[in-house]
Amino acid sequence: MVPQASPPNEWPLTRLRSSLLPWRGMRVTLITELTQPVRYVTQLTMVVTQLALTYWLWRALYAGVRMSAGLDVTQATSYALLGVLYLQFRSVDRWSNGDTMVQLMFEGTIAYWFIRPVSPRRWYLIRMCGDLAYGAVWALVAYLACRAAGAIAGPPSLAAGGAALLTLALGLVITYYLQVVVDLMCFWSTVNDSAVVAVQFASSLLSGAFAPLWFFPGWFQRANEFLPFQSTLNVPLSLYVGRLPVSALPGQLAVQAAWCASLALFTWWLWRRAAARVTVLGG
Amino acid sequence: MPAGTIVAEGLIKVFRTVARGTGVAGALKSVIRPERVAKVAVDQVSLRVDQGELLALLGPNGAGKSTTIKMLCGILTPTGGRVEVNGITPYQDRIANARQVGAVFGQRSQLWRDLTARQSLEVLRDMHGLRAAEYRDRIREFNRILEIEEFWEGRARQLSLGQRVRCDLAAALLHDPPVVFLDEPTIGMDVVVKEQVREFLRDQVQRRGRTVLLTTHDMTEVAKLAERVALIDHGRLMYDGKTAGLRDLAGVTWEAHVTVETVPAVIDVPGMRLTRADGTRLSFAPAPGAGEDLTPRHAVRRLIEHLPVTDIRVEEPDLEDVVRQAFRAGR
Repeated sequence: MVPQASPPNEWPLTRLRSSLLPWRGMRVTLITELTQPVRYVTQLTMVVTQLALTYWLWRALYAGVRMSAGLDVTQATSYALLGVLYLQFRSVDRWSNGDTMVQLMFEGTIAYWFIRPVSPRRWYLIRMCGDLAYGAVWALVAYLACRAAGAIAGPPSLAAGGAALLTLALGLVITYYLQVVVDLMCFWSTVNDSAVVAVQFASSLLSGAFAPLWFFPGWFQRANEFLPFQSTLNVPLSLYVGRLPVSALPGQLAVQAAWCASLALFTWWLWRRAAARVTVLGG
Repeated sequence: MPAGTIVAEGLIKVFRTVARGTGVAGALKSVIRPERVAKVAVDQVSLRVDQGELLALLGPNGAGKSTTIKMLCGILTPTGGRVEVNGITPYQDRIANARQVGAVFGQRSQLWRDLTARQSLEVLRDMHGLRAAEYRDRIREFNRILEIEEFWEGRARQLSLGQRVRCDLAAALLHDPPVVFLDEPTIGMDVVVKEQVREFLRDQVQRRGRTVLLTTHDMTEVAKLAERVALIDHGRLMYDGKTAGLRDLAGVTWEAHVTVETVPAVIDVPGMRLTRADGTRLSFAPAPGAGEDLTPRHAVRRLIEHLPVTDIRVEEPDLEDVVRQAFRAGR
């Protein structure tokens, strides 16, 4: 008889190592994407097409005017192209892998999330970081290509570039939390596809991904100030193109931090409620 | 409580849902004025499984087996009652619990569809914080019976059911848990793979001393693996005891058919009653209260001692009949 099965070692160093190792789970996204060439070829085609069309559209819009809504043609085109690049952060499509939250709920495989030594909240974060990292590579490569081609102008100063990068990071945190809220709806209602579509549309429209927010009416912009979306994209891009001065950074950071904190608290509470009410029926 | 022990006391699970009406009016009503319905899935289930024991949890579809197993392994939060596995309340401390339990839900895989089985196992290795040497040893051990290395370079979505479940078994035991929950692990498999999985489970219980709680509809599996069974129906535990003892609950038992040289004037075999007499051919069954001790082997010996037997044959009902009868008797 071999030694009895016993509880694993619980030394502090083992625990520390165990807590870091799961982050290697981020690679699930990369492996999945690379095993399906059709997906990255399609994505490449779409990014190039979208960037080219956006560039020509904004150039055409500015053909007869020098300035519009306080932006010149270079600023407006850069803003719009950066908006396209921002969408690449959310480019991973988990649906065809059966790996979206709603699919895991529907198939009942979400059950495994609750019998692993990594909490569902942490595993979700690890996977999303994997998705964001994959999207970030696309965005970065496309950004460098656009810069080389002269389609996107550089930031007006190093400080503006740094401020844009900092607010972009916080903007991604806000985007992450908004996605958590949508995904966790599955624990209350097994279908969340309409919520996903609604939030994606609202997020793209209100963040400025479709068009710079200064082109919208005043009441729209004022109402939007009370929502988290513009902090995700409009703020970093405005800092990048010089529409917002670097001196506005502390105020914008404070707003972003407030959104991050309140959404973190809300999603923490949601995860607790979700874990208590998880339902997986049948054998 | 020693590692490898499962204890459930008065376990209850009630699911609350909204009753959906038919048609447009019904759908509208369920939105405007939803009617809440409570469904008791598990009702006061108590059981204990000790270290190194294999308990088969049996019951018809919808009886509450899977719900029970999901409460025991920490996925579902019970509505009432107490549950402890390895001294931990699973749903309250899921991380600590996860380090000491493994689970396979036969129709649901924990492998990532587009990763190879090997890559999925490596992701799980990292989640459990296993060292490379530990991982290699485990894989070698599983491979000895499950032969997973033959196909683990295939993507999970391309594996056959049998291959997929063998990988899921390896995934569930990768971190060497003392307690394993298996919810219909062999459902839909061919006989060869079923036997392979059974051999693996036998090995894990007998050699590694793991505690296994198994739900299945396959009575051959029960007969080959479990010495103890628990019957559950309509969420209630109907029986918990030796597999052999099920026959008492069901009221079905073995029957011995003998041919004698001459029929004695008085037929009296202790512990048995004559059920049929046709010339020199006699049939016997255990007398009421004969108990579990009177096995078919003992009965044969007694019949030979008390009668001038020329031929003897014992008929035993198969486990499937016994379980079917037990459910009828219980209802």
